[in-house]
Amino acid sequence: MPTEFAITYSTQNEYESLVNGAFWQFLIIPEENDTQQLLDWEMKSNIQLDQNESVNGLGFKSIHAHTKEKFTKADFKASFRVQKKSSNPFDFIPNQNWQADLEEIQSIAFRTVNEIFLRKTRFTELPSDFTTIFPFNANKNVFENLMALNHWVFVHLFFKVGVTHVDTPLQEIIEKRHGVCQDFTHLFLAIARANHIPARYVSGYLHQGNGYFGDSQMHAWAEAYVPQAGWVGFDPTNDILVANDHIKICHGLDYSDCSPLKGVVYSSGGNKTSHSIEVRSSQQ
Amino acid sequence: MKTDPTNSLFSSYPQKTELFDEVFEKDGSTKAIYEKLLCLYGEHSIMDYVNLNNKAKSSFFNQGITFQVYDKEKTQEKIFPFDLFPRIIDTDEWDIIESGAIQRSRALNLFLQDIYHDKKIIKDKVVPLELLSSSANYLHQMMDVNPPGGIYNHISGTDIIKHSDGNYYVLEDNIRCPSGVSYVICNRTALKRALFGVFNHYNAYTVTDYAENLLQILESVKPHGVDNPNCVVITPGMFNSAYYEHSYLAKAMGVELVEGRDLFVENNFVYMKTINGPEKVDVIYRRIDDAFLDPLEFRPDSTLGVPGLFAAYQKGNVCLANAPGTGVADDKAVYTYMPDIIKYYLGEDPILNNVHTYHCSRPNELKYVLENVDKLVVKPVDEAGGYGISIGNKLSKAEIKQVQEQVKKEPRKYVAQSILSLSVHPTYIDEKESFEQRHIDLRTFTLLGKDSEFVLRGGLTRVALQEGNLIVNSSQGGGSKDTWVLKKDE
Repeated sequence: MPTEFAITYSTQNEYESLVNGAFWQFLIIPEENDTQQLLDWEMKSNIQLDQNESVNGLGFKSIHAHTKEKFTKADFKASFRVQKKSSNPFDFIPNQNWQADLEEIQSIAFRTVNEIFLRKTRFTELPSDFTTIFPFNANKNVFENLMALNHWVFVHLFFKVGVTHVDTPLQEIIEKRHGVCQDFTHLFLAIARANHIPARYVSGYLHQGNGYFGDSQMHAWAEAYVPQAGWVGFDPTNDILVANDHIKICHGLDYSDCSPLKGVVYSSGGNKTSHSIEVRSSQQ
Repeated sequence: MKTDPTNSLFSSYPQKTELFDEVFEKDGSTKAIYEKLLCLYGEHSIMDYVNLNNKAKSSFFNQGITFQVYDKEKTQEKIFPFDLFPRIIDTDEWDIIESGAIQRSRALNLFLQDIYHDKKIIKDKVVPLELLSSSANYLHQMMDVNPPGGIYNHISGTDIIKHSDGNYYVLEDNIRCPSGVSYVICNRTALKRALFGVFNHYNAYTVTDYAENLLQILESVKPHGVDNPNCVVITPGMFNSAYYEHSYLAKAMGVELVEGRDLFVENNFVYMKTINGPEKVDVIYRRIDDAFLDPLEFRPDSTLGVPGLFAAYQKGNVCLANAPGTGVADDKAVYTYMPDIIKYYLGEDPILNNVHTYHCSRPNELKYVLENVDKLVVKPVDEAGGYGISIGNKLSKAEIKQVQEQVKKEPRKYVAQSILSLSVHPTYIDEKESFEQRHIDLRTFTLLGKDSEFVLRGGLTRVALQEGNLIVNSSQGGGSKDTWVLKKDE
């Protein structure tokens, strides 16, 4: 049964001094894929903009907005209607063991195609003291190992807003054991990649009202490659597999590929920014 | 012809016969191609020469042809030392250099096309996957992007040396933003001003046609659907070490020189701000590094680039020359696979030799390198401009130990090559008021367009001004010479 979601993304930006010009990129449009269909969307602002659809470096739809007037306050409100088909991440026949999975994952053809999602980035490189923090079990297959990893990250880290920021290094997150969905995801990616499993950072929306962690803001989770199944979504912040409640926007190597709002603002002085998300569903 | 002992210019020329001198044979006689030149120079005394050399230098200074040397503590503005005694390359030798440079550029272009699409060369195990996965210059954003005209490395600077065996060897391929071409042209101008009577006796190719060929190449890679492309040169600004060159090339091509703030992107097209309103830009010869091109896609703190530029490029609405992500192929580790890369894509043997290279990332080669640091040149794979290079036979015991430690720490970061004996050329040395042998190399400039190619007939002969020094980069205090490529005798 498909579910229809109504998603609202809003952001308020206030600047100390007059802004002469700005160029923003929003990565907030839900991706269209096998399970997601974008019915319609719009974005409004309190200031006059030249606004158009574009793509980011990995080809995901983005919105470019270029100001036409000077301002000190810029508010944006975007709304999306998405239809999502239900899916079952367990609906495949996995290989019996790690060895069979390894044969596929270690082949040169496979590694060549997926090489970029095996890379260590500044967010996903395991600090040298922690390379064996979660060893994979050679008696289990990749899927079982990844589920165990998902659970382990969920248990190891405590969800806490405001203690980490976008640039907090993985070392600090592992040591202090707290963070937000972005940090949970980077830790999952770092360990999966260190075990030769291609894994990518996903940014998206999470259905609200189920008591999930991280549902009031833009959410993040991981997709990892599972032999026989393909890319499977893991949400370590909530210790669940991604199924019907996650609406994907885009993926990338890490947060820096997926950050929802990037921009260049020609102004001096500080600014205040706030974001909020609303996701409502209606079963059809 | 024997050198005339009364020829005061070269009477005290200290010729080391173990070095390969491009002008004099081992017995002291002059090579045929230089005979006329020596005769003409012989009419002058050393004092005449000093005067002319000073005149040429001040002409550089007056034209503002300077560059900056970066150092940990300070940055210095310098004139590129110029030597009035030219280097001559005959037709037959040049043909090898020219066809070899084109072959390398074409192979590198196909390599870039492949590694940003199907990566066949890796699946076929000709080059290892690690070459890409460990390269910081590989831009995943370039995957499946099709640059207009199918060209990645529009401009390549290939550094070539003549070894004591008389053959040419390629030292490295520079395909990010190779610089130096403006010096080639200025050297020629300066030499002609000082010694027109001499230049006139040789039938050498012009070098001033570079800009018009560059413009043709840039126009050939215009975006689809554009008839008369609007080309611009983008510079990081006047504080960049190659700013003179950026402004020279823009002026010589008759196109605008812009900075990032002069451009903006609207609806995935690039526009230039002009007093008559926005003007669409189709081809950008960019002299800013990948990381600074677009703050939305690369370094977010870049103020040199243009927000939205990469999206416009991905959509095929603007051409960037060179393409972003070419740096992955001028990595010194890729260099070592060049013979295989040429064979793989072109089915040809390399025309120009490669210097044999040891990869420190391979355990047994690492072992050899660590044991033979004193006999090798050890270089970091990702630094340009001669920084971080150590030449084994010039190192003290402590320095050798230091190099070993560095290499052991990050083997992937280093390659090593046998120490080559670069050819030498008589070069006027200010402090000694006489000519001495100095090591030289040659940077060639190759242009690749849609269905066309061009090699500048000349190039930048760089001189290592310190006696015995093998590093000729301008940032390491090198000088340069005008380089004459002779036309075929009719």
